[in-house]
Amino acid sequence: MPDPRTEREHGFERPEPRRRLKNEAIARLGQVDRRILYLAIAVAVVGILFRPLGLRIPVTDEVRRVYDAIEELPARTPILISFDFGAPSMPELYPMTVAVVRHCFRRDLRVLGLGLLPEGASIGAEVLDSVADEMGRVYGVDYVHLGYKPQIEAAILGMGEDIVRVFPRDFRSQPTAEYPVMDGIENYRDIPLMVGFASGTEMVLWIQYAGARYGQRIVSGAAAVMATVFYPYLDSGQIEGLIPGLRGASEYEQLIGMTGRASRGMDAQSVAHLLIIGCIILGNVGYLASRSRRGEG
Amino acid sequence: MAKRGVPLALCFVMGVLMAVQFFVPHPLSRYVYENVLDWMQIVSVFALAVGVIGLGRIHWRRVVVRRAGWRYSIATLAGLAVMGILGVVGGIEQGTPYAWLFRYVQAPMQSTMMSLLAFFVVSAAYRGFRVRTREAGILLAAAMVVMLGRVPIGEAIHRAIPIASNWVLNVPNTAAMRGITIGIGLGAISTSLRIIFGVERSYLGVE
Repeated sequence: MPDPRTEREHGFERPEPRRRLKNEAIARLGQVDRRILYLAIAVAVVGILFRPLGLRIPVTDEVRRVYDAIEELPARTPILISFDFGAPSMPELYPMTVAVVRHCFRRDLRVLGLGLLPEGASIGAEVLDSVADEMGRVYGVDYVHLGYKPQIEAAILGMGEDIVRVFPRDFRSQPTAEYPVMDGIENYRDIPLMVGFASGTEMVLWIQYAGARYGQRIVSGAAAVMATVFYPYLDSGQIEGLIPGLRGASEYEQLIGMTGRASRGMDAQSVAHLLIIGCIILGNVGYLASRSRRGEG
Repeated sequence: MAKRGVPLALCFVMGVLMAVQFFVPHPLSRYVYENVLDWMQIVSVFALAVGVIGLGRIHWRRVVVRRAGWRYSIATLAGLAVMGILGVVGGIEQGTPYAWLFRYVQAPMQSTMMSLLAFFVVSAAYRGFRVRTREAGILLAAAMVVMLGRVPIGEAIHRAIPIASNWVLNVPNTAAMRGITIGIGLGAISTSLRIIFGVERSYLGVE
């Protein structure tokens, strides 16, 4: 049995039983079963899809710069769009590709698509064909899908010399040079703007090789987790605009006046972020309580 | 001697040649450059073939010796064969069986795997993101501001949150990323020189 006088002399006292119980209850906040957390995120995300909040999303400068770069191109100008992401990133990147391709077709630009990842080429084909069908654009006249080429660096550098040499046949295995959409296009010099969508660092290769070596103007769309990598390039002007993650896609949809998947997904993302922050706070309250309890014990 | 000498000499010649070529706008230089780029892609295609053969062999052996999880290897081999055959025989453009399988089987499966991250992020944030030190506190505050600032509810809570979030991304983040990028660039130059001059030989299997 510890002597209370000794404890007082050492500067601490045992807590009252009620206070100790309260501390224990708070400390338990840091020990919530993970299945409850899983259930909470599932209910929150699914629930909000049925009852959207419809919150306003202000358009950021970096997204507006992508829009302006496309908007200022005269009709029938060629634009290069690279789909460098795979199926895991589709929920985040697919909506922005649809919005940008739609904008390009609306501006009557000649779209040259490609993918430097095998899956990206398939996704690009789907985006280009579906938006073209919707907007009445013709393959080979208004757009072409160059397809996939391995060895990203060699493909990007090779296109700076001769695009048809790198892609002699398109995604449909037809001779690329025979399409009217390719008239007057040899290399980057003939393409005023390139848009790259990437889930990883593929965009950095476009910046380093097409941008730095051939002076290609570039705007980019990136997965939110990778967007932080691209802010220095945005700041230095090596990319002229950036669409970061689902939020960026949602802003772009606003700019072109459409309500797509990105705008619908933002409410779910809002709730998920709030829940994660709530969990962090809860975990820390529990952690601090258990630490003070250990100190008391 | 020749076993290592020839690759080292090739590496030195090609390294120096491509570095010099960058500064020489002569048609011969451009011709060499374009051919080297073509060869890089040809070699890559062979590397892809080697990868597919290696993957097939590893999983085939697992199935034959019934190693743990061999049934998953059957799924891998079946997927490889089906997508490969359908792509080669029927083509890969829209409307083909390959495109259908990609759109309605592969893409949803991979997206689902990625979506599971949401659950793990919640659990990991709850258990792992503890303010044990002052630095962890600063990191946590920055993360919370950015997380709120990147979604519309941040603006709904307070107008300053997206402004603060953009500041974190544009100023401290850009400064740190730029430092890392410059460091990577210097490291790449140094490693390239070491490889060209034969100091770094680990790519030959030599320590």
